[in-house]
Amino acid sequence: MSILAILRRDLNRYRRNPIRTAMLFALPLVMAAIFALVFGGGGADEISIRVLLWDEDNSLLSMLVQGAAGSEESEQRLEIVPVGKEGLAMMDDGAASALVHIPVGFTRDFLAGEVTTVELVKNPSERYLPLVIEEGVGLGAAVLSTASTVFRSELETIGTLMGSRGFPSDAAVGGLGSDINSRLRGLEGFLFPPAITLESVDLAAPAEDEARPITVLSYFLPGLAVMGTLFLAQSATRDILRDREAGLLRHLLTAPVSPGEYLVGKCLSVLLITSVGFAVLILIGVAAGVTWGPPVAVGVLMLATAVACSGTLLLIMSLVGSERQGDALTTIVIIAWSMLGGAFVPLEQMPAFVRPLSASTLVFWSIDAFNTLIHHGGGLGDIVVNLAVLSATGLTFLIAGALVLGLRIRQGTL
Amino acid sequence: MEGSLIQIDRLRKCYDTLVAVDNVTFDVRDGEIFGLLGPNGAGKTTTINMICGVLQPDEGRVLVDDRNIWIEPKAVKQTLGVVPQEIAVYEDLTARDNLNFWGSLYGLRGAELGSRIDETLSRVGLAERARDKVKTFSGGMKRRLNLCMGLLHRPKFLLLDEPTVGIDPQARLNILEVIHEVAATGTTVLYTTHYMDEAEQLCDRIAIMDRGQILAIGTQDELTKRAGEAEVLRLTGSFDDQALRDRLSAVPGTRVLRMDSGSAVLSIERDGPGLLHVLPRVLEGDFDVEDVSIQRPNLQSVFIALTGRELRD
Repeated sequence: MSILAILRRDLNRYRRNPIRTAMLFALPLVMAAIFALVFGGGGADEISIRVLLWDEDNSLLSMLVQGAAGSEESEQRLEIVPVGKEGLAMMDDGAASALVHIPVGFTRDFLAGEVTTVELVKNPSERYLPLVIEEGVGLGAAVLSTASTVFRSELETIGTLMGSRGFPSDAAVGGLGSDINSRLRGLEGFLFPPAITLESVDLAAPAEDEARPITVLSYFLPGLAVMGTLFLAQSATRDILRDREAGLLRHLLTAPVSPGEYLVGKCLSVLLITSVGFAVLILIGVAAGVTWGPPVAVGVLMLATAVACSGTLLLIMSLVGSERQGDALTTIVIIAWSMLGGAFVPLEQMPAFVRPLSASTLVFWSIDAFNTLIHHGGGLGDIVVNLAVLSATGLTFLIAGALVLGLRIRQGTL
Repeated sequence: MEGSLIQIDRLRKCYDTLVAVDNVTFDVRDGEIFGLLGPNGAGKTTTINMICGVLQPDEGRVLVDDRNIWIEPKAVKQTLGVVPQEIAVYEDLTARDNLNFWGSLYGLRGAELGSRIDETLSRVGLAERARDKVKTFSGGMKRRLNLCMGLLHRPKFLLLDEPTVGIDPQARLNILEVIHEVAATGTTVLYTTHYMDEAEQLCDRIAIMDRGQILAIGTQDELTKRAGEAEVLRLTGSFDDQALRDRLSAVPGTRVLRMDSGSAVLSIERDGPGLLHVLPRVLEGDFDVEDVSIQRPNLQSVFIALTGRELRD
């Protein structure tokens, strides 16, 4: 009965302190919201790259670029904003991911076969999107350079025609068309058919499951939820040290409660609080459009993660001397594990030497399992190893932590 | 020992090289208020912690109602009510929440628990604040709630470890009244304090404790007699240590308890020549006496007689 009384008391404390309880959930939710905002809202389909185009040449090229951006698919991904010199000031204000500057005489020089330059100004506050634009502009420059070499004489003819007064004669236009056609026929053997064709297959969304909505949150929320659960476990296990420092533990042990009953009650309350907390974060994810995967698999994984988080934090708290020490050490462990385990940055984007370290964190095993469920359409059978690692390690830590605390209580050193 | 609810036998507890409690032996009789009087660091709390089963003694034995707390912890703890020196309440819960939790640890449930909570809160004057969070309470109110937690299950034996530390006189008076009332119902009380007046006002018998040891045990009368019915003369000024000792050596029944450059504390037997002989000898000497005070025999003078130090030192 004492165990249940301790459990009830802990839950009552969360109930009586709604602000404190809400704050525990705030961190992962705020971070998820920030990630969602940075990457353009809730869905991957809504990610849009904003580019300022400062065209001093009023060229054919810029019209072509704007025309390409006007296609149905590009409209969702790319926003081309024509600007003047004020574009530089707009970049200083972070108004776009990059600015493309086409200087005066660009088309003339290009057609004349002279070396010319396109300027790209990148937004330093963004990490990935300017790189995407740089790659795109670089690719365009390579294509134009190749065309400049291959169609040199035709381009010179175009330049002459554009420079002449009035409309070109039918014979001149026809001759140019004939020359280009002849050039293309000569190239046909080199260009077609291509030796290699690119076929893109999305493994996360197999053909029969194309309707599965993949959102930005679905990439980040699992990691942030695991981190949030670690913070919940930190708060719940910290209470043991707070009880001790406030004299509450000593007082409690004057009642007919054994140290074992106290610890079992505390472990149960820590497990319950972390599980409920994790479940709330998962439900918030569902409300935000995240498809977590098969409910049973998600539920089991959630419990295994809660056990892992609770065990880890209890073991650390059992070894430290004071609440302040416990706070400092566990915060370092939570942040380090979250970073290494892939809560902030996907594992595949980490430096190669860091990746092997990830597997040493329980955060990795949880996030990896969630990725299997969310992005690869996996089920319970596909995450058995992850569940085993999380549960076995978590339970070992939980028991070890409880034993250390029990020993310290009996020795009077807690 | 017959009629003793608590028997403490040669208790000893060390922390590394520090001997916190050394060979402490006493008994608390059924229905009495027993005081453990001593300065901070005397070993009172360590003794209490060993009695209530929080701290295991290195040597010695504690029997509560002839049962060893380390052999039958739950049965013994069920009969104890402990009010610790720290305010051990959950500040983020209400007073009623705290008592609900505490009562459930002792097996109280439902309507019985509810009526006990109402009764106990009324007794200490906190009934109107039952549903307020403890963090909104004053220090004195928290102390009274602390006391409630020790009384809720109507223990046979109540242990109070300096329950009035740091509170205002009114709250202190309330707590002392409640303890009187509880004792009047037959509850046996062990009360530790470093306030001499509390021990005098409250306790049937008193053990004076200092530096881990019991120096004397008895009723207040017994203790003052044991100290020799001496009056304590306190002199403030500047003295030549040896000169003053020489001057008083000829006066029978006079003892120098403590002396330093600024003060001297003398014990003067009431049966001897008395103050009328001592004072002139001091004043006739070449001493710069600024102030003289005389203290009738009380626990303070007993403590001084036993240790040479003031209780507050």
